[in-house]
Amino acid sequence: MGQQIESALRQSMHRVVVVLVSFLPGVLVFLVAVVVLTALGFLFAAIARRILVALRFDERLASNETTGAPSSLSDWSPSHSPTLFITRAVLWICVLAGIAIGISAVDASYSANSQLEQFLLPYLTHVLGAILLLFFGNLLARFLARSILIGAVNAQLQYARFLSLGVKWLVLVLAAAMALDHLQIGGVIIELAFGIMFGGIVLTLSLAIGLGSRDLVSRSIEKTIDKPTPKPEPTLFPDATEAPRPKLRHF
Amino acid sequence: MSTSPPITESLPPSALFAEARRDSTPLLICLPTVTADELQSLRDHILTALPGQPLFLAIPGAAASPDTGDGITLLDYAAPHNRTGWALTAADYLAAAQLAAEYDAPATLLLGAEAASISPSALQQLADAVLNQKADLALPRYDTGPHDALVSSALLYPLTNALFGAPTHLPLPLDAAFSLRMANRLATVARKPTTATPTEPLLWPVAEATIASFTVREVPAGPRTLPHPAETDLNTLLAEVVGSLFTDIEAKATFWQRARATLPPKPSQRPDPTTAEPEDITEMAETFRNAYTNLQEIWALVLPPQSLLGLKKVARAPAADFAIPADLWARTVYDFLLAYHLRTINRGHLLGAFTPLYLAWVASHLRRSEGDATLAAFHAEETAAAFVAEKPYIVSRWRWPDRFNP
Repeated sequence: MGQQIESALRQSMHRVVVVLVSFLPGVLVFLVAVVVLTALGFLFAAIARRILVALRFDERLASNETTGAPSSLSDWSPSHSPTLFITRAVLWICVLAGIAIGISAVDASYSANSQLEQFLLPYLTHVLGAILLLFFGNLLARFLARSILIGAVNAQLQYARFLSLGVKWLVLVLAAAMALDHLQIGGVIIELAFGIMFGGIVLTLSLAIGLGSRDLVSRSIEKTIDKPTPKPEPTLFPDATEAPRPKLRHF
Repeated sequence: MSTSPPITESLPPSALFAEARRDSTPLLICLPTVTADELQSLRDHILTALPGQPLFLAIPGAAASPDTGDGITLLDYAAPHNRTGWALTAADYLAAAQLAAEYDAPATLLLGAEAASISPSALQQLADAVLNQKADLALPRYDTGPHDALVSSALLYPLTNALFGAPTHLPLPLDAAFSLRMANRLATVARKPTTATPTEPLLWPVAEATIASFTVREVPAGPRTLPHPAETDLNTLLAEVVGSLFTDIEAKATFWQRARATLPPKPSQRPDPTTAEPEDITEMAETFRNAYTNLQEIWALVLPPQSLLGLKKVARAPAADFAIPADLWARTVYDFLLAYHLRTINRGHLLGAFTPLYLAWVASHLRRSEGDATLAAFHAEETAAAFVAEKPYIVSRWRWPDRFNP
């Protein structure tokens, strides 16, 4: 009995050591790949930065931008510098490439029947895709929310903030649902929950705007109906009638 | 026996111009937007204003005709269609400047939309400023009521005066007169690539003249019909004009940080209030309150706490006391200018968030001017003086934007 236990322990330890021995070079290669590619990333980023600065990329882009443009590269860039944005993108692409190469190297150090790469690499790609979806969804939500808030305030709508928040959450919910779907988490539950939430937000907005604009709509309908113009009631002071307000000339 | 035509008829317009130059100083008048209906009346005004002066009227698509005895020679010139419907654009200046350079015209008068309503005395003064007083740029100051030219009173005049030291009340002119060297400068500036701009780019001649150390003169020009812009949406139009001005100021930052501003002539004391009823601005004040409630978080990205506190006080004030103090307005505009430069937020959003503040200034202006043109002018001068007084603020913030600003 004791011998069997000892043998079982020894065999399992042997298997673990074998796995570690075959795994460690892979980890080392992973680290080397990440470090080398990161170093290369820094190098490429520095070169890109030098070239873009020499070309006065920021100034050229700024001079070609329009005031009314909905969004530009510089608006999404760190410190509003497109050069910095591009150099950082170069760096992170290299780092990600290093990670991908490293994972591949780890997998190569395993036995041929290992499913690590087949599972991990596509899933990592999905995770990256989901992160990007969330990132751009968040950017779009913020941009649209701000645009709608300003537009609604300038249109003198009382419920500007509510409208802006509604649109922001619509986009965020959409982005989150897309990310979860991309990660294949939740399955039908996510679709169902998304449908309910999206529909709920749209219904809430519709009700709020519909109820809020009740007077506006009724006034607009009244205008379209031909009504007999009521005769002005005779007043004791005919001169006291309200004079038309002078029109503002902004330009 | 056939009679041969007079020699002048066979000469090309440039030769006619050169011939006129030998005897006196001819005046080139460019009319990029004149209509056939307006032409006769404008021609009469010009003849009344400038009798005996050799005149060359350049009209796009006009059949060139020599002087028919009244001193006016018609010229054709290639001026693009002005789609703004009101202000002179860079393309208008470029076309006029190219024509002036072609004819070597010492003085050019460029008249914008609805030019037929310009009085003969205004035409005479504009021409005189360039021809006799040797000004490089002469701009008219038309009579405006308390409800007119509000953007100029709120922003264009105070900013141009404070930063470029040129007290011209309508810096985005409807009409202008300029010398040959100014024409050359305008042509150079107007040629700069602005292809990405969706609408017609504007040009700020006063700033150009000032940085070139040219003489700028403003002449009183009486009444004039102010043309209506083709774009009717205030938000779009304000964003275009203010965006263009901010871009121009940004490009000339090295100049205005050094230039010394001139204080505009300010009336010694406030004119007597009129007996007229003050304007009802309740609705405008309410609109500002709504904007304050909703846009606070965006304004907080641009404005320092002190300005936000000032705006809060304005928003809480009843309509009868609704007023944006001149210094608060000046600082607010300067902060938006800085945010435009630093791209603190998207520029479209920034200018959109500026519109309610401008409308609040308009409400404040209407309440203070009480429907009286003199009071309105006084308030405009007060605003301009505040911009001059606050100029160190923008210079300091422009140089050190990250410095603590309570």
